[in-house]
Amino acid sequence: MKTIRERTSMVVFAVMAMMGVAFLAAPNLANSQTTTAVSGAASFNPPPCDYKDQFYMDNGLDPTQVVGRFGSARLTGPPATGNQVNWVADSTCSQRDPDRRNFRILAITGGFPDDQSGSPTEFITILGFVTNQNLIPSGINAFETTYSRNVGAINGGLDGDQQNPGETISIVNSANPRSITMQNLVSNFEAYPAPKQRLANGQIALNPCQADMVSPLAPAQPCFDLSTVNAVFTPALRQDWRFATNRNAIDGSDNNCISNNPAVCTPPNGTGSAPPQSDSPFGYFCDDLLGMWINSFFWYTVDPADHTSPLGKTCTPILKKLGQQNGLTPDGTPIVKTGDELDNILEANGCAAEGQLAFDGSDGGAIWLVCPAIPDPRAGAISADAFLDQAHNSNGTVQNIGLLENFLSLQIFGVFFTQLESSQQSQITAQAVKQQ
Amino acid sequence: MPNAKGIRVSRRDFNKLAASTAAVGPFFLFSGRAGATQKTLKIAKWSHFVPQFDPWFENIAREWGQQHDTQVTVENIPVEKISAVASAEVKAGKGHDVFIFPWPPAQYYQHAVDHTEIYQRVAGKYGAIPQIAYRSTYNVKNKQHFAFADFWAPSPLHFRQDYWAKVGMPLGPGHYGSLYGGGKRLRDEFHIPCGLAFTPTLEGNITLHTMLYAFRAWILTGNDEVVFNRNVFAGVALKYLQQLYRETGTPDQLSWQPGGSVQAMLAGKTSCAINAISLLRAAEEQDAEAASKIWIQPPLLGRSGMGVTALPHITNCSLVWSFGQNQDEAKQFVADLIDSSRTGYAASLGFNFPTYAKTVPDLIVHLGKDPQANPHDKYLLLKDALHWTPNLGVPGFATPAFMEVFNSFLIPKMVQRVLKGQSSPEDAAAAAAAEIQRIADKWQQVN
Repeated sequence: MKTIRERTSMVVFAVMAMMGVAFLAAPNLANSQTTTAVSGAASFNPPPCDYKDQFYMDNGLDPTQVVGRFGSARLTGPPATGNQVNWVADSTCSQRDPDRRNFRILAITGGFPDDQSGSPTEFITILGFVTNQNLIPSGINAFETTYSRNVGAINGGLDGDQQNPGETISIVNSANPRSITMQNLVSNFEAYPAPKQRLANGQIALNPCQADMVSPLAPAQPCFDLSTVNAVFTPALRQDWRFATNRNAIDGSDNNCISNNPAVCTPPNGTGSAPPQSDSPFGYFCDDLLGMWINSFFWYTVDPADHTSPLGKTCTPILKKLGQQNGLTPDGTPIVKTGDELDNILEANGCAAEGQLAFDGSDGGAIWLVCPAIPDPRAGAISADAFLDQAHNSNGTVQNIGLLENFLSLQIFGVFFTQLESSQQSQITAQAVKQQ
Repeated sequence: MPNAKGIRVSRRDFNKLAASTAAVGPFFLFSGRAGATQKTLKIAKWSHFVPQFDPWFENIAREWGQQHDTQVTVENIPVEKISAVASAEVKAGKGHDVFIFPWPPAQYYQHAVDHTEIYQRVAGKYGAIPQIAYRSTYNVKNKQHFAFADFWAPSPLHFRQDYWAKVGMPLGPGHYGSLYGGGKRLRDEFHIPCGLAFTPTLEGNITLHTMLYAFRAWILTGNDEVVFNRNVFAGVALKYLQQLYRETGTPDQLSWQPGGSVQAMLAGKTSCAINAISLLRAAEEQDAEAASKIWIQPPLLGRSGMGVTALPHITNCSLVWSFGQNQDEAKQFVADLIDSSRTGYAASLGFNFPTYAKTVPDLIVHLGKDPQANPHDKYLLLKDALHWTPNLGVPGFATPAFMEVFNSFLIPKMVQRVLKGQSSPEDAAAAAAAEIQRIADKWQQVN
């Protein structure tokens, strides 16, 4: 995705330059009420809005089971702070996209893509949470088991000659017409929240309190709690998210094997140690139309201050090196930006673990997110009144200023930070430093 | 094969074939005409799990023999005896002309002709070698193909939907955490254990290799370097298995013979299994109501970035021995057999997934309209199976070292020691790693 975006960004930037688009000066974001900062032709991407109930249902999710749904709940409070609101009523939402309802989302959560780059270029909107597959004893399923709606039927016109039976959107036995259950589809898209592990008493908890998630690498107590959706609110996270939006990218950027030619899909002489393919039958932006994710929580299984236990001795140099490279979270643990860092460096050595909440809801908490990534955050998608939801350091400063720079750059100029002229970059950096 | 192409096999035909051949036994002789100078072709193959397939295969072989003036014999060998029979033939330097394995026979590469020629012949009709076939039959050392893979079988999770609905998971467990959590509740509250196979059987082997891989506990790299237990993943996976067995399992899991986990699920005694669809097919044959309650889903979501993944239950690999007396006929038969993939798919009741997609171009249509399934699109969940099925040997190829680890049941034996309390997870993993290292070293020294 990054490749496509960057390539496209160049084109957009060139077009904008040729058209003589006058970039706006940085607005006073705190007071801004306009929806669009980027002007004219550069402002063709709509800002994010919540989906209509119909769209949720057409895609296999019962909207009444979406917890904390933007537009209906969470007007204030995390991720917003103070008087800031997370969403506003906006009648243009459904005009721009008939699948959206008229609530525009201001809370834009930033994170890292899952392409090993560690680039702070992902922007998503956490519309709500799904906490249960099936509510016992009521039997209400968050993922629909049956559904049917006919669309496009025409009965009449041209003196009754025009007839079209339309198409039926159906869910039978929990599966859509492609025989895919929503649960299975979403399992292909993992979002990685990093819960804070340092407890109020200053202790580091090395496992979640949910028994079925406990890693055998660390003691079960003390533990950090994931039993409410608040556990994935940014104040409860020690670092920014990572999202696998690039699963099965059509350009092969996720290293999935998209060619039938063994020479393309196989490491030279078959000697590579990496898996030959990181394949998924689904593409995030073409299959996961609600933009849903399964939360794969990850946590440290070793106290960063532990330099003496066997695991501490193993992990100390690893954590030190990663911390120097990426910086530290408020817990004093290193920030993790890529899957390689988590899987092959930390987890492989027993320094970290990951897990998901139980599908029956017995663990509580947010098993899944309705949290669509913004497919193209450039050219108007980040409105002037939007705000960035990101992790902060203990002293209140933002943890990843690059994320803020990208956000402001997209908000003001409609392009990523790296696409700006140096003078514009200076302007954005100054703004970011001032704002953080 | 030329005239076999396009043969349609109905269920009625299956039954007729089965009835007519039932009295013959597992050894079949087909000849176009008797004669001292007539060519011969002896085929050994694993006994298919879908009973209707073997009579179909014998019919195909007979027709091929008639067209090629060749006396063809087919011997069906139970899966659990395949390795012993193949090893005996290698030792004796004689045996069948074509030996069809249910897994990549990489250990026998020194005794196999180069099957690249067969892949090249097939390429003209069906395209380049598919990944799963390439990585299952290519020897990176001598740069030859030691076998030809024409079909494979995915390993979806089978689960009793009615049982899992009782614990709030009507769509199944989805990931390994929920397999444990839901499985524990099912056993605690309803006395229904989880039924994954942990014994030294094919299903135990596939189940446990799948689970280790899903926990990132890889065995070997593409270079045959041992990575098992070089990180914590093996230990974590074994501890998970220990907990899963203790809190969701049944002692039967440690004593099941081949097919034991399937029989337990068919009897409604267990809640889930990792298996080829022969399990569900058997249920459909035996008890339609019970079959309607057995659902399948893609594999469980793995840990540490492994995603949704399961190893193939079967990788059907035809091998022509280099010591065979009729190599030309054997290669011709194997190359021609691919033309019958479409009818083979039907004869196997959808068990045989073609390696060459073009041989069954309407696979998804068949999956979506299965006359036996209830509902008829139940198997459509398998349409993306190739995406979540890597080859045995992943992340490397199916190398001789990996396949020796596989065929010696080293992994199920390791897990059994832990589950029986004979060894700690750490010690069992260390011992297995040492054995894997010994095997890898041995093969490193082989040219």
